[in-house]
Amino acid sequence: MTAQLTMEQVSGALKEYGSAEQVRKNRIRVSTDTQKILSAIKAAQQFLDCDHLILISCTDDTGSFGLTYHLTGPHRTVISLAVAVPRESPQVFSVSDILPPAAIYERQIHDLFGIVFSGHPGLSKLMLNEDWPDGEYPLRKDWKPNKANSYGGAAQGGT
Amino acid sequence: MTGDPQSLSQRLATWARVKSPWVTVFNSGACNACDIEIIACLMPRFDVERFGILAKGSPRHADILIVTGAVTRKQASRLLRVWEQIPEPKYVIACGACGAGGGVFQGLYHVVGDVGTVIPVDMYVAGCPPRPDEIINAVVACLNLMKEDLAQGGKEWRRKAGDTDRKETTPGTVAKDVRV
Repeated sequence: MTAQLTMEQVSGALKEYGSAEQVRKNRIRVSTDTQKILSAIKAAQQFLDCDHLILISCTDDTGSFGLTYHLTGPHRTVISLAVAVPRESPQVFSVSDILPPAAIYERQIHDLFGIVFSGHPGLSKLMLNEDWPDGEYPLRKDWKPNKANSYGGAAQGGT
Repeated sequence: MTGDPQSLSQRLATWARVKSPWVTVFNSGACNACDIEIIACLMPRFDVERFGILAKGSPRHADILIVTGAVTRKQASRLLRVWEQIPEPKYVIACGACGAGGGVFQGLYHVVGDVGTVIPVDMYVAGCPPRPDEIINAVVACLNLMKEDLAQGGKEWRRKAGDTDRKETTPGTVAKDVRV
């Protein structure tokens, strides 16, 4: 088993993408921005041997969305690449071409938070029902169900 | 129900149905606890097969549909399709607090409501999860209901005045009326 990555290795390899901080013994968080995320992931793959995507997490920080890509590799150190996606234009480049497992996480985040991943091959519904109305993102903090709206399912219209 | 209920073939069919009801289990978005209790019913400790109750994989072979869990928006159309495939006379048991009344999932964005909002339910079982004895009791009560319905000539006698067929719950609201 290869040794764990040190803070110096990570901040050295990813210094042009943002500041690194050791949030836990085994987890190093690098805050970057939406323009650099693609090259930051490429750099993590190339220089830090991060060949495995654990997950992409998304939080609604009211002003923006906190998108975090959790990567790891044989060294078992978790590299969290964090970006803040602006709420008024929630758009970020898709990383599904360099990290194929990212595609399904991106579909899920698009469903529930409404972040558009440009370049994604098929950003269709994953979690929500097929007849869920467009433009409604239930995990956004400001989302409230509209009583006049129909949210699909078989209760109406069916036999 | 078709045919003369007093004819030999109908009496034979009724006898067979009451002596050996075949059930099929459908999970419409449950947490699996109810399903585990239903599996426990089928296992040697409770062993419902001694009553002739047999779990069937296909709804086309079943008389009784046991639905567990609140109905999610994705499962609603599938539940409806499964219910439509069961031959008449069919009986539905909504199992557990979520199946019977939505439980803690009532009003969530991805939940249509309890089982009664999608298909007509004949028997509600409370509990989170209900004990296997309670599930067996529900099936036995369902058989009594089946006999009663045969004597009354259908399910109509159980409908109360003002019963509406279906109601939809908007996310964030709780359905007020509970169907019988």
